[in-house]
Amino acid sequence: MEDFPLIRLEGISKYFGKVRANSHIDLDIRAGRIKALLGENGAGKSTLMSILAGRLEPDTGRISVEGQIRRFRSPKDAHLAGIGMVYQHFMLVDTMSVAENVLLGHEGGFMISPAQMRERVRKLAERYGLAVDPTASVGSLSMGERQRVEILKLLCRECRVLIFDEPTAVLTPVESEQLFTAMRRMAAQGKAIVFISHKLPEVLSVADEVAILRRGEVVDAFERSQVPDEAELARRMLGRSLFKEPGQAAFTGETEESGQGARDLQQVMSELPIARIRGWGGRAGRGRRIAQADSVLSLDGLSCRGAGTAGFSKVSFAIAKGQILALVGVAGNGQKELVEVICGLRRPDAGSLKLLGQDYREFFSDLPEQNGLGYIPEDRRGVASCPELSLVDNFLLTARKLFSHRGLLDRKRALRATRALIADHNIIPGNPQARGRELSGGNLQKLIVGRELLRNPRCIVAENPTQGLDVAATEEVWRRLRVARESSGILLVTGDIAEALALADYIAVIYRGKLVDLFSAANQEKVDQIGLMMAGSASAD
Amino acid sequence: MEDFLPYLAVLLPAMTAAISTGAPILYATLGELVMERGGVLNLGVEGMMMVGALAAFLGCYHTGSPWFGLLCGGFSAMLMSMLHGAICLIFQGSQVVSGLALTIFGTGLANYLGTPYIQMKIQGFTALDVPLLSSIPVLGPIFFQQDVLVYLSYILPFLLWWLLMRTRFGLALRATGENPAAVRAAGISPGAVRWAALMLGGFLVGLGGAYLALASMRMWVDNLVSGRGWIAVALVIFAFWRPGRAVFGVYLFSGITAYLFRAQALGVGIPTAFLSMLPYLMTLAVLLASSLRGKDSGAPADLANNLRPED
Repeated sequence: MEDFPLIRLEGISKYFGKVRANSHIDLDIRAGRIKALLGENGAGKSTLMSILAGRLEPDTGRISVEGQIRRFRSPKDAHLAGIGMVYQHFMLVDTMSVAENVLLGHEGGFMISPAQMRERVRKLAERYGLAVDPTASVGSLSMGERQRVEILKLLCRECRVLIFDEPTAVLTPVESEQLFTAMRRMAAQGKAIVFISHKLPEVLSVADEVAILRRGEVVDAFERSQVPDEAELARRMLGRSLFKEPGQAAFTGETEESGQGARDLQQVMSELPIARIRGWGGRAGRGRRIAQADSVLSLDGLSCRGAGTAGFSKVSFAIAKGQILALVGVAGNGQKELVEVICGLRRPDAGSLKLLGQDYREFFSDLPEQNGLGYIPEDRRGVASCPELSLVDNFLLTARKLFSHRGLLDRKRALRATRALIADHNIIPGNPQARGRELSGGNLQKLIVGRELLRNPRCIVAENPTQGLDVAATEEVWRRLRVARESSGILLVTGDIAEALALADYIAVIYRGKLVDLFSAANQEKVDQIGLMMAGSASAD
Repeated sequence: MEDFLPYLAVLLPAMTAAISTGAPILYATLGELVMERGGVLNLGVEGMMMVGALAAFLGCYHTGSPWFGLLCGGFSAMLMSMLHGAICLIFQGSQVVSGLALTIFGTGLANYLGTPYIQMKIQGFTALDVPLLSSIPVLGPIFFQQDVLVYLSYILPFLLWWLLMRTRFGLALRATGENPAAVRAAGISPGAVRWAALMLGGFLVGLGGAYLALASMRMWVDNLVSGRGWIAVALVIFAFWRPGRAVFGVYLFSGITAYLFRAQALGVGIPTAFLSMLPYLMTLAVLLASSLRGKDSGAPADLANNLRPED
C-alpha cells in the first residue's frame, strides 16, 4: 500500500458549458501531509475539490483511492472512501446541539443516546484539540467554533482526507492559529489535509506541499521547503499573469486590452444624456445640489436592535471626504445591521445619521442617482446581484437611472457600458449576456465594484470587499477604492486587519454591537491590540 | 352557589367527552407535526382525514372488522399524502397550493363516494374499560372508560417524541426540516427523509379520520370531519412543533369545545351557529396567540420550501 498515495487524481477535466474549469489535472494527496491548493479566483480550485468530494462528476479523468479506481457519484460515495470537506458556508443545523450535528448521518444503531453522543464528541474534540461544548446549540457559536463542529463531523466519520475551502475567511487571527494547530495535529495522526487558500502567509506557515492552479490547470507543484519566502511564492502563484498575458484575451473570447476598456467606459458615460446635461461626475442628479460639506457620513449615538440579533448601540463616528474608516470586527458583532442602517435598508431606533450632511430620512427620500451613495455588499450573490440575470441586467440593478430616458431603458448603451466595464476590470467570462451565477466570486465582485463606482458616489460603504478574492483581485479592488477616496469618504467594513491597515486612515473596532475603540491607523500601539479588541478581551480606555 | 352546581356537574362528562373528541385531532396533529418537522407543509389534512374516514367506514362496513377499517383509513390517507409528495418532492409544485387542492379534492371525493352510505351504521370501536384503573374516582371515568384508540393515543405522543429525539431517523428528520443542505452533506438523502415523513404523517392523519368514522360517529354522514383537519394544522403551530405541547393544545381545545356544548344543553344562551363556528374561531385565536411569539416560534427553518435539485 505504501506505493500508492492515499488519493491520486489523474487527468481530471471539467467543463461548464464552454467554460473550462479543470483541465487534465494530476494531483497526489498523501496521508500525514498538508497540501495547499493555491490559485486566483476562477482558477478551478473549488471545482476540483467538489469533484473530489463527490459533489460534481468529472468529464474525464479518474480518481483512485489507495491505488484502486473509484467513481464518486454523490458526496456519500466520497464519504465512504473517507473523503470529507469543510465548506466555506457551513452545513450545520443551527437549532441543534453540537453533538447532534456531529452525529447526523453517522452510521450506527437506530437509537441514539444524548449522553453517549456528548461523551463521544467530547472525546473526539479533546483528541484533536478542537475545543467546543458538545451540548451548546450551534446557533450560539462563533464562526470559529462552528468550523470546529464541521471538522468534528468529518473526524467522527473517520475521514482520512479533509478538504478545507478557504477556512480562515471567517476566522479571527487567534482562531486561525488554533485551526492551524489542529490541522498539524490531524496530519500528525495520519490524516491527509488539503486546503484551498490564496493567503500566502497561511500557506507558508502550515503547508507541507503546494500545488498552484491557474485557469483550470496545475501549473506548479512543489514542497514547501522549496520556497524561501512570500515573494517567491507570490511569483510562482501569479506566474506570468503578473505581467500582461496574451493568453487572457483568448480565454475570455474578447480581444480588448485593459486600457481600452477604461477608455470605452469613459466614452459611453460621456455620451449619456444625463451626463451631457449635468456633466458626468460634476453635479448631483435631479437638479438638486448636495451640500459640498466635508462630512460625508456622520453617526451620533446611532442604535438599532437587530431582528433576532443583538444589533448595535450608541455608535458614533464621522467620515470626511478623502478618508477611509475601517470598521473592524469578527462577523456577527453588529456590522451587518450597522451597514443596513447606513444604506437605508433598516430603520435605526435611536440616534442621528447624516449622509452628505443630510438627515437620513431626507437623503433616502430623494436618493441622488449620481454623487450619492455607493454600496458594495458582502453578500455578492444575494444582496448585490441576481444570479439568474445577465451581467447587463446585474449592471443595471443600481446603474439603471443613468441609462434611462423618460422611463425607458437604453439597453444598447447599457450593453456597451457593461462590455467596457468587463474589459476594464478584466472580468471572466467576458460575455455580457452570461448569467450572474456563471461568474466566480472574484469576477462577480469586480463587476459589482465597477458598477458602484460608476456613479461617482460621494459616500461608499464597502463590506468585506475582498473576502474570498485572490491577491491580484484584492490589489485591484484596493487600488480602485484608493482612487475613489479622492472624491469620497469610504466606510470599509472588514474582518481582515491587513486590509484595514492597507487602506484605512482611521480604524474603529466593533464588538457585540459597541465600538470598542476608534483610533488613527498610524497609532501603532493601538494597532497592535486590534486582534485582542476584536475578541473583546482588551479594555477600551 | 347553587346556580353554579349544574355547570360543575357537567364538568365530568365534558372532560370525558374532551378526551374522546380530542383523540382524532391528536392523531391528525401529530401526523401533521411529523410532516412539518421534516420540512413539508401539508395543508391537505382536512381532505386526508375525510378520505381516511370514508375508507375506514367502508373497510369496517364491508368486513365488519373495525381494525381492518382502521388500516384502510391510515393507508388511504398515506396515499393522499404521497400524492402531495409527488407534486412537491418530484414536480417541485407549491406546497401550499398542493395542500389546499388536496383538501378540496379529498373532501369532495369522500362526500361523493359516501353518498350511498349516509346514515348507515357500523359496529366500530366501543368503550373498553381498563380493569382497576377505570374504577379510580373521577380520573377513571375520564381517562380509562374509553375505546382502545384513545388508549393508543395516550402512548403515541411518547412514541413520537422518542422517534424524533432518540433515534437516528428522528435526528435526520429534524435536520431535514431545518437545513436539507446539511443533511445532504452528511450523506443522507433529504428527499428520502421527506418521503418517509409524509408517509408516516399521512398514516397518522388517516387514523385521525378513521377514528371519527369508527369510534365517534360509527356511521357515515356528510362532511364528517367538518374543520378538524384545519384545527390540527393550527395546533401544530400552537404546539411550537413539539409533541408534548401538541397534547396540551389538543385537550385544551377539545375541553373548551366539549364544555361549551354541554353548557348550551343546560340552557346557557349560546347560539348553535356560534358553536359550529367555534372550531374556526379557535383556529384563528390559536394562530394569533402563537404569532405573538414571533420569530422564536420554533418553526422548522426550511418548512414549506421545496428541496433544490442537487447543486
